[in-house]
Amino acid sequence: MSSAEGSTLSREETDLDSEFSQLLSAARPYQVVVWNDPVNLMTYVSWVFRSYFGHSKARAEKLMMQVHQEGRAVVSHGPREKAERDVTAMHQYGLQATLEEAE
Amino acid sequence: MATAFRATTTGYRADLEQHERRLLGSLCADVIELLESREDLAQEDSTPSGAEDPAFAHFRAELAGLGGEEPLAPPEDEVLRRLLPDASSDPEQAGQFRRLSENSLRSAKMADLRTARMLLESTPVTMDEDVAPIFGRALNDLRLTLASRLRLHSAEDAERVHSLAVGPSAKDTDSFMAEIYTFITWLQETLFSAMTEFLPEHGTADDAAVAGDAGAGDPEPGDPESGDSGPEASGGAGTSSR
Repeated sequence: MSSAEGSTLSREETDLDSEFSQLLSAARPYQVVVWNDPVNLMTYVSWVFRSYFGHSKARAEKLMMQVHQEGRAVVSHGPREKAERDVTAMHQYGLQATLEEAE
Repeated sequence: MATAFRATTTGYRADLEQHERRLLGSLCADVIELLESREDLAQEDSTPSGAEDPAFAHFRAELAGLGGEEPLAPPEDEVLRRLLPDASSDPEQAGQFRRLSENSLRSAKMADLRTARMLLESTPVTMDEDVAPIFGRALNDLRLTLASRLRLHSAEDAERVHSLAVGPSAKDTDSFMAEIYTFITWLQETLFSAMTEFLPEHGTADDAAVAGDAGAGDPEPGDPESGDSGPEASGGAGTSSR
């Protein structure tokens, strides 16, 4: 959205414009990262991944081991709204989780 | 001496001594109180003009949630910071997210702890399948709390806490906390080992889509919405039904 044209826009158009850019930003893919910590039990973390995300046993344990060994793992991605929901759910389970823009 | 959690026909059961139930119950109460103390601070923060009609304050908070407002600073207390962690490594983003979501997270945790406290009032401690995850989350919050107080931040710290717990019973605060921490760890482990038996081996998510996620950093940017709907739907259903 060029700024030179922006100055000639009516107020409504400007609002639409910024609404549009907000929509664009909301549609950008985000990802949720779970970080390793020395407190959460492996059994527990696997159970959370299986129960909350509906992962298979194998997939959940692979993700859990990735968190444990590499220090972090991407556990979900999608639009910002979904990532926010997932990160809050992880926090409710007591896991260290952050959201970030997907690369 | 307590017996581990095990599955029953109606859910899960553990036999705890009265003093163990009392101890866990009072820890729940302590953490609830700590979480409540955060509310007072957060409200002071967001109410600059002294006394205000609570209904209006709520409305104003809702409005604030919609517009770009001041980010909420993380709690100073280390335990609260662990229970209510930053949702982003970027402090500005973390503060904005905190402003919108910390309150509901805090309420959810207090509700979990109240449920756990109630369950600990009867013996044996029993719960059905729907309540077990709530009790398990509350146990986890107790462990996170004790771990913060014991400065347990690394694998080496975990070793230190373990030897404190099993060491000669010199009764300083740390070794007492370490003993309780180890006890709750054991209790939580037995509960989730039992609960894990009842999860479907192959999961409930669309594993084809999930397998696609496995390749690091290929989120199929061209199709974020449809790629997302499958796992999201099942994930959401999985949690809301609990």
